[in-house]
Amino acid sequence: MLSTHLGPSADLPPWAVALACALAAASLVLLFVEMRRRERHGVVIAVSGLLAVTALVAATLRPARVSARESTVGARVVILADSSRSMALAGDDGAPRQSARDAAIARLKKQNPNVRFVVLGFGDGPPLPLADASRGDASTRAPRSDLGAAIRAIATSAEERPAAMVVVSDGRLDDPTEDAPEASLRELGRTINVPIHTVATTRGAPVDASVRRITAAGAAVAHAPLPLRVEVGCAGGLVCNELTVTARELRDDGPPALLASGLAHVKDGSAVLDLTVTLERAGARIVEIAVAAPPGDTIPENDRRLVTFNVGREHVRVLHVAGHPTNDVAALRQWLKSDSSVDVVAFFILRTMTDDSRAAQNELALIPFPVDQLFTDQLATFDAVVLQDFDAQPYGLERYLPNIQRYVRSGGGLVMVGGSNSFVAGGYAGTPLADVLPVELDGSRGGTSADTMSFVPKWTAEGLAAPLLDPLRSVLGDQLPSMPGANVLGDLRRGGVALWSHPTRSTRRGDEMPVLAIGEEGDGRTIALGIDGAWELKFSQLGSETAGRAHGALWDGLLGWLMRDPRFEPAQLEVVGGCTAGLGSTLRARVVASSASVREARTGGPPPKPPAVVLDLTRIDEDASPIHIERVLPAGASSVDFALPALQAGAYEARLRLGGGATTRHDFACEAGGDEWADSRPDARRLEALAKATGGSFAFPPDAGSLPLPRPTVVSSERHVTPLAPPWAWSLAAAVLLGAHWVVRRRSGLS
Amino acid sequence: MRLRPLAPFAFPLALSAALVVLCPHPARAFGDVGAFDPRVLLTGNQSGPARATAPGRWSWELVQRTSAPARLRPSVVRADDPAIVEAPFLYWSGDAEVAPLTATEISSLRRFFSLGGILFVDDAAPGERGEPSAFGRSARREIARVLPDSAPVSIGTDHVIFRTFYLLRRAEGRVEGPPSLDAIVHGGEAQVIFSEHDLGGALARGASGMWEQTVHPGGDVQRERAIRLAVNIAMYVLCSNYKDDQVHAKWLMRRRTGSTP
Repeated sequence: MLSTHLGPSADLPPWAVALACALAAASLVLLFVEMRRRERHGVVIAVSGLLAVTALVAATLRPARVSARESTVGARVVILADSSRSMALAGDDGAPRQSARDAAIARLKKQNPNVRFVVLGFGDGPPLPLADASRGDASTRAPRSDLGAAIRAIATSAEERPAAMVVVSDGRLDDPTEDAPEASLRELGRTINVPIHTVATTRGAPVDASVRRITAAGAAVAHAPLPLRVEVGCAGGLVCNELTVTARELRDDGPPALLASGLAHVKDGSAVLDLTVTLERAGARIVEIAVAAPPGDTIPENDRRLVTFNVGREHVRVLHVAGHPTNDVAALRQWLKSDSSVDVVAFFILRTMTDDSRAAQNELALIPFPVDQLFTDQLATFDAVVLQDFDAQPYGLERYLPNIQRYVRSGGGLVMVGGSNSFVAGGYAGTPLADVLPVELDGSRGGTSADTMSFVPKWTAEGLAAPLLDPLRSVLGDQLPSMPGANVLGDLRRGGVALWSHPTRSTRRGDEMPVLAIGEEGDGRTIALGIDGAWELKFSQLGSETAGRAHGALWDGLLGWLMRDPRFEPAQLEVVGGCTAGLGSTLRARVVASSASVREARTGGPPPKPPAVVLDLTRIDEDASPIHIERVLPAGASSVDFALPALQAGAYEARLRLGGGATTRHDFACEAGGDEWADSRPDARRLEALAKATGGSFAFPPDAGSLPLPRPTVVSSERHVTPLAPPWAWSLAAAVLLGAHWVVRRRSGLS
Repeated sequence: MRLRPLAPFAFPLALSAALVVLCPHPARAFGDVGAFDPRVLLTGNQSGPARATAPGRWSWELVQRTSAPARLRPSVVRADDPAIVEAPFLYWSGDAEVAPLTATEISSLRRFFSLGGILFVDDAAPGERGEPSAFGRSARREIARVLPDSAPVSIGTDHVIFRTFYLLRRAEGRVEGPPSLDAIVHGGEAQVIFSEHDLGGALARGASGMWEQTVHPGGDVQRERAIRLAVNIAMYVLCSNYKDDQVHAKWLMRRRTGSTP
């Protein structure tokens, strides 16, 4: 729009204009006072004086005609709308809180048509454009309510800085926290340095009992008590003086195991209960913390929380049982004892019934083999059991083999090391223990239990690609020493992977006979090593070339894989952004290593075939149909994403297999509400405090339109200034009129 | 050498022994490669151990008394042979001064020790009270060249060697000698064990079934205790400090307290 008006010369600052006008006004006032005492020529003096002053002001201001093209620009105001899961909870009118949020935004826009609103949703991390309300619950999916991160992201953004900010939320935020002091709220406001107005979508809390918060004192360590602090509460007028709280581990090998329970005495709507749980198995363990909600609870989804504990090991506790002492037993024992993180409980059979020690019992340093104690009560306290060349029958182990089977399926590790009394020769064929080994054992009559011909084990393709043998290959390359013989092992069982095979022997199915095989059974892992010459990785010409490190490198990988050491997993799995029941999610697999591909590329061979990546997802806490997804790892890629369908609330086990190699496992939980629903009470006071600390205003949705937002700014895009007369003309006029005024005054007798 | 009164029974005993050896015995390792092998170490101009039959008898006693497998025909290896690193145990005995080790021999022995190997040095000609012979003195001198940063220390009955299988009150061999052994200990493990008891002399038994050496002053009882020491040393090689594990400690403490010397 083009507009024209008069104005002073452009070279005058505003203060000079004001000063000139003020002096002129003062002169006129003095003239008026003087004229009140005059009786003649008063009108002439007044008129001439007025003209003189006017001319003087005009000579100073030198008026000009200003033509400008101007426009009005509305202030940029960022609306940060809460897009977390808690906005799906019921609001004051029973409708979801997002309805009140969207209504408040609409009111703001309607009442401030000149304001340029930018509507962003905040949740987890930097804010994003708020999803359209027409897309169902898309605007209430964020797993967190991190307002602080959103404000800081806008403050550091390269985009136009907003003139004000409006936060529309229920006030149940992760940051700032409930008990944040005013100083920290002010500090948050200073990061953006504009007023932060707030609109609280909800006043009243729903009728709800819930597990509000769970905190653990320290990291979870296997076999060690872990104190938990559980905060529970009742809101919305729900009467609950006492709430029973239970902690249960969700397991795939049976019903949930009760870890602890207690009674929380609710006072002023909340209670804190300390529970101590002990998780026996390392790895990701899912614990359900639940309250028995009284009748009337309107949000049953937050009556239980599923917490994933990554249970570590302070020490790996290994039971090492050997049928008789040999160089292989000695080498393994020395390696186990050399690692300070390994607690070894060893039992070696030093005397059999046929041996004649020629000494009385009290002259012998022999103690009874406590088979009952070890394989009943104590078994669960071990992280791994190593049976080395051990014959089950003479020592009564046979009747405890079902225990070992259960132990493995519930997360234990088992290694069977070869020798003349191992595998088939040890009487394990057809036993419950054979069901958990990665290879089949042929116990039929006429079956061969051992091949005593020397041989050099052969690497399989899976062995070359297995990260658990990377330490050995880094020391020894692809060489292996000659072995004095091997136990005859059968075909691989389902899920078994052969890492070394026999160069000449084959299985019933015609495959190369496994020499070293690994497998997963239930929650546990097993290893079959069908040789008793692993000690030659230390004591041999080949072993001495590596200063004996090859033996330790082999067992480092084997025991590490058994204990799910991330270094030896073929991939790392992660549910991106967590899993929320009822919503789709993404599981990302990062392939740790693919040694075979690396090797082929290094030797200049043909490009390796992209390996298939197979994901099997099963429910841990309930029977449900498994989900099977196959993908191909693109050439050169180190990760692959699996789009998971909407899952129900519960515990899940994701098992991933890369090519034909080993599998890796990741347990995770899907919650209906998660953190966002844990405490369903809105918190308008927090929003009010934030507005007050940052110079903003607070309102509920009906008054959202009355928030004092910045006025629009006038912007001139084109400006032309034309003087009405040249400066000398104004000066001449002023001089003439001043002179005339002086003459009139003199004639009237004034000085 | 004066024959003991046992001589009339020598043939039947030898026959029995041979039958036991030849009887089918369960294989205890594929090809017995991983079995205990009292490998004879030869250095310089040595052509054999001071007690040629002792290593075989050592294995025989071990197999008869324990579950441990052993090579009944122990191998022989020269100190400069690369094969020295192919098993974790060496038995070095002699009754005369040994020639200084060559650079190759020293290098080979160092490689052997670096892998965790154990050397048993058996003085076959000690004095009645265990005074070291020329072999004992020269062997210690040469070992000091191989392991220059280590010195032998006395190990008594508190060391696990004295309880790896038998509970022993002292060390004994063909001669009674000192009650303790000497050892070079590295990382808590005995690398080199020195005996001034002629343990091989107590073990040596000829093809006729006769003990080759008389045992002073304790006779057969002392010989039995010497054999037990040999068994314990073999068990130390095969189990290292297994009997030091906490799970055994209470039992063994109680048994030692209640047992007679």
